[in-house]
Amino acid sequence: MEKDNRQEEEAQGVKICDPPSDSNPPADTLATSLSLLGNHMFPDPSCRNDSADVNKDELADSRLPDDAAAEEPGMDEEPPSNQVTKLETEETDCDASSQPPDTETEDAAVSNDQNDSGEFVVTMLAKAKLEEQGIGVKGRSSPLLEAGPEESPAFVSHRDEDVTADSWRQHRKHVFVLSEAGKPIYSRYGSEEALSSTMGVMMALVSFVQSGDNIIRSVYSEEHTVVFLQKGPLVLVCVSSSRQSEQQLRGELLYVYYQIISMLTQASISRIFEHKKNYDLRRLLAGSEKILDGLLNLVDSDPSFLLAAVHCLPLASSLRDSLSQILQKAITANLVFSILIAKNQLLTIVQEKTVIEDSRLEPADVHLLLNLIGASSAFQAGEIWTPICLPLFNPDCYFYAYISYLDPPECTVCLLLLSTDKEAFYAVAECKRKIEEAMAAQNSLSLIAKAQSYSVSQVGVSDLRHFMYKPFDVPDNYRQLTQFTSPEMEAPYSSEEEKMRLLDLYRYMHSRIHSTSRPLKLIYHVAERETLLAWVTSKFELYTCFSPLVTKACAITAITKLLRWIKKEEERLFIRYPPKYSTTPNPRL
Amino acid sequence: MPDVSKMKKPDVKVVLLGDMNVGKTSLLHRYMDRKFKETISTIGGAFFLKQWGPYNISIWDTAGREQFHGLGSMYCRGAAAVILTYDVTNWQSLAELEERFLSLTDTALQDCIYALVGNKADLTDQQAQLAQDPDGQPQDQTESRDRTDTLLSACPTPPDSPASLSGVHKQVTREDAVALYGRILHYKGLDEKSSLPADKMCFETSAKTGFNVDAMFETLFDLVLPSILRKRNENQRSPTVDLEEYREVGSKRSRSGCC
Ligand SMILES: Nc1nc2c(ncn2[C@@H]2O[C@H](COP(=O)(O)OP(=O)(O)OP(=O)(O)O)[C@@H](O)[C@H]2O)c(=O)[nH]1
Ligand SMILES: [Mg+2]
Repeated sequence: MEKDNRQEEEAQGVKICDPPSDSNPPADTLATSLSLLGNHMFPDPSCRNDSADVNKDELADSRLPDDAAAEEPGMDEEPPSNQVTKLETEETDCDASSQPPDTETEDAAVSNDQNDSGEFVVTMLAKAKLEEQGIGVKGRSSPLLEAGPEESPAFVSHRDEDVTADSWRQHRKHVFVLSEAGKPIYSRYGSEEALSSTMGVMMALVSFVQSGDNIIRSVYSEEHTVVFLQKGPLVLVCVSSSRQSEQQLRGELLYVYYQIISMLTQASISRIFEHKKNYDLRRLLAGSEKILDGLLNLVDSDPSFLLAAVHCLPLASSLRDSLSQILQKAITANLVFSILIAKNQLLTIVQEKTVIEDSRLEPADVHLLLNLIGASSAFQAGEIWTPICLPLFNPDCYFYAYISYLDPPECTVCLLLLSTDKEAFYAVAECKRKIEEAMAAQNSLSLIAKAQSYSVSQVGVSDLRHFMYKPFDVPDNYRQLTQFTSPEMEAPYSSEEEKMRLLDLYRYMHSRIHSTSRPLKLIYHVAERETLLAWVTSKFELYTCFSPLVTKACAITAITKLLRWIKKEEERLFIRYPPKYSTTPNPRL
Repeated sequence: MPDVSKMKKPDVKVVLLGDMNVGKTSLLHRYMDRKFKETISTIGGAFFLKQWGPYNISIWDTAGREQFHGLGSMYCRGAAAVILTYDVTNWQSLAELEERFLSLTDTALQDCIYALVGNKADLTDQQAQLAQDPDGQPQDQTESRDRTDTLLSACPTPPDSPASLSGVHKQVTREDAVALYGRILHYKGLDEKSSLPADKMCFETSAKTGFNVDAMFETLFDLVLPSILRKRNENQRSPTVDLEEYREVGSKRSRSGCC
């Protein structure tokens, strides 16, 4: 559990620049200026106010005593039936006792006496933007229309995008990485060169605020949230119109940071910048843009990142066990992890005993590995050998990853072996040979090929359309890899837009559940086209999506049934007993 | 390392080196799969086995990115042939061979063979635009998913329109390559007269059209055969893997100085 909260802890560790709101007088002037700036950056005539409203409501609410703690979905407030704003909510039950409500007024990042120069920086930033983009033009598309997947086959490059074009500004989520010296390192859309002055000004803003012993955390405008994350010598900035919470966006930036670390290690990045403050890190990252692009597309389209849990492919437990045993037998010195993946989901993970005695593989590290595999798609017969750092395991050193597909030319089943020995390629490749042989003998590949994600209809609850269920530590398997299970997204969520819309609703529910100021245990949310219920207990976190007309009573019965079904299917849905092996009699670790 | 002894080792090792984006992966892909596809910049290195007659030739396609520079000498260890690849439209890519990659080959075999390969010749030489595939498949049916934008103008279909050579200039001439070949021999302390002639070892290729690709690989394979035979003879005893003394620091579970 403690590691699951890593991102949140980090998010809470630093000061918060609040959304502009009446309760926050010190930040007011700057905040206003910044939102003005936001309007410069992203001119938009049709302002929507709902986000600000929601925040205000929350503030007001959080001053009320929250004593209605309950783990049963027993709500009595019905939401108004004629909702207009899609994010309008009615949560009926909450328990803030587990976490003291954050005072949202804590340490506004910038205080009054800095306002003059603050405005100066803001003007600079705004000016840089205008220079680069020409004068703003109106009109924007719905964020949903240009959301993630359909614009994001891993190969499409946005590097050549015209950063002065309207379409550039309308991307739902921009991500920039720059060095402390203000040197551009990465931009999700458009080339870093074209954006270098913008990034320079962003950095000026960051360091200006820093000079006052504060840390800039976020900037809110009507349409956009700008979130800053500084990690060592790197500054990551997200400019988003996705309406995600600041915490979620910061979590995503953290993934970007980790992916960079996974390629270079934290130690070498620090070393480089200690040496030369204005080093151009693109020299080392050149060619990795597609890996970062791919990561950001996954972050937008795969709830694993939101839940900080891994998704494994449902598999008869006997088959999963036999695969694990195959991996367990094919070992060599210094091998530490053996991972089998099909269709980008985990089949099984076997790990070395001594290395990870007191730790486990973190979901985030697995996500980075999966993304790397996805983005490196070597052609068929090749066997890849590459250094890779698992930042949550140890941000400062490399593992050597052996990546090979077991079923060319389809290439859906992938074997990933991690060694601590740079020279172990041939020995590790020999393990693959053994695994291949054993799998052939047991006909595993064709069995794996039949494995599929499941349909929600298998649960047998009529109004249930989709769900995500994340158990916390499986009791008899302490320190298990955090996993979640979820059925295919089916009609009405088959189109990319609808999928993204559902994910956005989940993201919204997630942000409410995990709100730092007012965490909730249970949210019953009637949206326009569906009804959602999110529930977190000490044992699990659950997000469910029902057809819109479901009654609360129905939803509760449905969830009871669903939980029963999951319990019954547990063996198939999760990796339950990950085996271990011992390869290092005399570990160098 | 108990497993190493059991390993059926490939008979000989060939390594592709060169700056990122010069087309190493594309060349190998063209040769092995007879295709030209959009690629992703290689991470680390990728290992391939090629049956060549009765022999197993291993081919390492390495990453040109500076990020992976440290691994280069490991991939080169014991190599019988090194294919130093550059992009004929990019002078810097030739310069990088000398500056960055040549020293990596210090771990290669004493009698390692060096080939200099100027790729993307289709962009500059009309001759290289012509389909050249023994399998007789249509050549320009690349499977690239998009991004034909930059390559479009170099599309070989109308072979008689030199105007469509995409405005890309040939920055590296054959003479430049031949001169570099001479310097490589010099660097290796090899005598030009007793070494393979530059003429034979400098190639211009196109992974896109397949021009000269088979010829290049197969010339090399033929040239390493003696090395295979010799290795087979003297092999029985010697260990197959040299362990470098230097090792990466193991993964201690310390999280130092994180901010
Ligand atoms: N016109 C043309 N383009 C080519 C040719 N070979 C490769 N390319 C293009 O050049 C780019 C880089 O090719 P890769 O094969 O990935 O280059 P690489 O040398 O493997 O690069 P790294 O893996 O990063 O070291 C791709 O966009 C290819 O499509 C060629 O013969 N002609
Ligand atoms: Mg490559």
